[in-house]
Amino acid sequence: MSASTVIAEIQSQLRRSWAPPSGDGPAMTRVTTMNLVVASTNPESIEHYAHIVDDVAQTIPARTLLVSIDAANPVSDLEGEATAVSSLSEGSNVCSERIRLHATGETSLRIASVVEALLVPELPTAVVWLGRVHVNDPTLQAMAALAQRFILDTEYTSITSLLAFAKWTGEENGQTFVADIAWTRLSPWQELVARFFDRDAAPLAEGIEELELTQASERGAKLGSEGALMLGWLGSRLGWKVSRLGGRLAFTRRDGKTVKVTFKSIARPKGVAPLALASFTLKAKLGEDALDGSIVRDLASGLDPATVDADVLVWKIARPGGTPFEQHVRLGPNKGAKWLARTLQRPANDPSLTESALFACDFYDDDVVCT
Amino acid sequence: MTLSNDNPLRRGLVEDRTSDACSVVIFGASGDLTQRKLVPALYNMALSRSLPSGFSVVGFARSELSTEGFRAKMKEAVSKHSRRKPLDATVWDDFARGLSYHQGAVTDAAAFASLKQHLDALDNERGTAGNRLFYLAVPASEHGHIVKSLNEAGLISKGKAPWTRIVIEKPFGHDLESAQQLNDSIREAFDESQVFRIDHYLGKETVQNLLVFRFANSLFEPLWNREHVDHVQITVAEDLGVEGRGKFYEQTGVTRDIVENHLMQLLCLTAMEPPISLSADAVRDEKVKVLRSLRPMERANVQTNVIRGQYGRGTIRGDEVPSYREEPDVAKDSRIETFVAMRVFVDNWRWGGVPFYVRAGKRLARRVTEIAVQFKKVPHSLFRAPDGGISQNVLAMRIQPDEGIALRFTTKEPGQHTVLREVAMDFRYGSAFGSNTPEAYERLLLDAMRGDATLFTRGDEVLEQWAFIDQVFHAWEQEANAPPPIYTAGSWGPDQADDLMAQDGRRWRKP
Repeated sequence: MSASTVIAEIQSQLRRSWAPPSGDGPAMTRVTTMNLVVASTNPESIEHYAHIVDDVAQTIPARTLLVSIDAANPVSDLEGEATAVSSLSEGSNVCSERIRLHATGETSLRIASVVEALLVPELPTAVVWLGRVHVNDPTLQAMAALAQRFILDTEYTSITSLLAFAKWTGEENGQTFVADIAWTRLSPWQELVARFFDRDAAPLAEGIEELELTQASERGAKLGSEGALMLGWLGSRLGWKVSRLGGRLAFTRRDGKTVKVTFKSIARPKGVAPLALASFTLKAKLGEDALDGSIVRDLASGLDPATVDADVLVWKIARPGGTPFEQHVRLGPNKGAKWLARTLQRPANDPSLTESALFACDFYDDDVVCT
Repeated sequence: MTLSNDNPLRRGLVEDRTSDACSVVIFGASGDLTQRKLVPALYNMALSRSLPSGFSVVGFARSELSTEGFRAKMKEAVSKHSRRKPLDATVWDDFARGLSYHQGAVTDAAAFASLKQHLDALDNERGTAGNRLFYLAVPASEHGHIVKSLNEAGLISKGKAPWTRIVIEKPFGHDLESAQQLNDSIREAFDESQVFRIDHYLGKETVQNLLVFRFANSLFEPLWNREHVDHVQITVAEDLGVEGRGKFYEQTGVTRDIVENHLMQLLCLTAMEPPISLSADAVRDEKVKVLRSLRPMERANVQTNVIRGQYGRGTIRGDEVPSYREEPDVAKDSRIETFVAMRVFVDNWRWGGVPFYVRAGKRLARRVTEIAVQFKKVPHSLFRAPDGGISQNVLAMRIQPDEGIALRFTTKEPGQHTVLREVAMDFRYGSAFGSNTPEAYERLLLDAMRGDATLFTRGDEVLEQWAFIDQVFHAWEQEANAPPPIYTAGSWGPDQADDLMAQDGRRWRKP
């Protein structure tokens, strides 16, 4: 079917969805605050994400477009349909629109123009790209050009490609900002690490001597994007430098002293995401003052089987001559919809993500493994 | 807000809404507010990781209770009243370790001396760093005693680190004179920057959104003046009666309970000029200017500009309800007003001649709080309409329930003929952003812990509010024998309120 026919049919389906039930009935109303486009070259990813997108649309009403791209298929074709999605849960009555598109062959190269025709005008557009990101992919570039916010997840692609893509969008289109769902997942960790250095402990941030980072994985697994970005965030905030001396990775503080960084692994219980950050421990010393801080994730300590990964983080701090303190906080379930919604609610432009990714790129390599 | 200034890791953090380490001391710990609002709000802040690591809550009240008993009572209260259920046992246990109870009377010097020792000990045990937030959830008659006792016990520091702050629940006095006395007694011990007068209306998302709506959208501000606005209606209506609070209501009435604080604040936020920044004093300076611009209610004008009423028997949601005078603890010949409507003018360049009609009442047709800006009619009607004219555009900002904004305008019905129809563009907060937003007390408690007073009422604001309202009371005192008109419960108030509008060729909205 031609693209223009599919577009016309989808628009007609949308009109029918919101038409009054009978000629004299009241007009149906809907809320739309943005266009949310989810695209992937893997149809299974799109199927999996459809539920996530429906959940997100309950809190961020959006016209959602689920776009499956199969460029390798020799047949050039486009299929599409539109559905109204309503939820009456918890007293809310939010209806949103879901459009599915499946492009094959040469049509997939022009899919961005199809998507553009189906966007609600005057509303911001976010494109979520599932899977690996190849910066030079013209389809991906065309999709990114439609968006004010291009969202990827470095758990499924590389930090290097995140950076390359951010660079490309910055050069080609100053209006598109890149966001990373893995980065959003780190926000509770970042805030808790920052707590170690509040008030009179602030100078000790310049005196970090040792750092140990543990991820939930098999021994010898490559450091995941969460761990890499977390260390990238800390290093970039504190002006550290990365070098490789004789092949050995070294982190140097602003004052030239070395920080001992250790990467470890801990067995991953069922229900916890692979390569999830499991603990973050540091020691700092400055003159007579010192600080031992740790954040340990009580893996699989969730509330019930459905939210087994809604883990508790145990935050501890000890200073010389002071009473050690401990605080328990809950991470909340690691649900895709929650993290996507939070990513959409954050400021589009987060310079510290780029700075952290840049720092991470300096050490993030296949040889950084967790023992 | 000192903790983020020097910490290099807080720069650029997106989720950074925590405060300094501190102890929160709640006076009136056995009261309803503590159980229904304050402790559930603090627990929710623990759940959302908004509490600092060094934190404790000390409940202070007269009744005998152990710390364990206090924890058990608060656990029950949180289980019942928290917006997030069920109780998270791990987070609760951590939070409960910071809860303690201190028994004493507000005039008992020894109790305050031992409170000081207790707080000093908590600084070591809980890392609360000497910072204290005193929350007065007690009747206004006890405010002065508490401030005096705190001062005499050496519990007030005027420094920035450690800091001491005091949160005071409304009512801030009973009239201008008592408000002045209260302000004076507080200022003997605290600087104004340490005082946080809480009006929970200002913590509501939709009230905060008023500032955003007005000053982040260039579309409306050019229309927000006497050139384009015909009048403004502000309604704070409740369908409930006094709900067992007859004794309290007999001493207050709706004017003191609602108009003097909530309603005046809504009027200020609607009428104020753009502040130079969102700093606490910049915003509050502009609100004070509005209050100073209110046309004085001279006694002679009160009768024509202010209508009061008292609810009689009636029907609400299909249930028959008693009259106010039949409520427990209410005098059979009570003259207390349960409804008030006023025509108010803001005599300044922007609003000269534009009436603000405000009303508040109990046992009205439905529970609704809204601000409706009614724009002027078009100067000439091109279209033949059955009612002789085109309806005025209305911008209605609903504070509760169904928080949102609706813009009413006229459009053409599809068809061969030009038939006009009113339609509304309706934005609903809950639909657009989900409904599980923090409660007002969560926002305001965290603001107080962070030292941000933007959403709190300043001392001079309170005095200006009373100065205006006192004129009405003085006029009513002159007509002491005149009972307020009775209105049927479930209606929109007495007929005289409709007459007030009809005199000006207008009518109340039925929101």
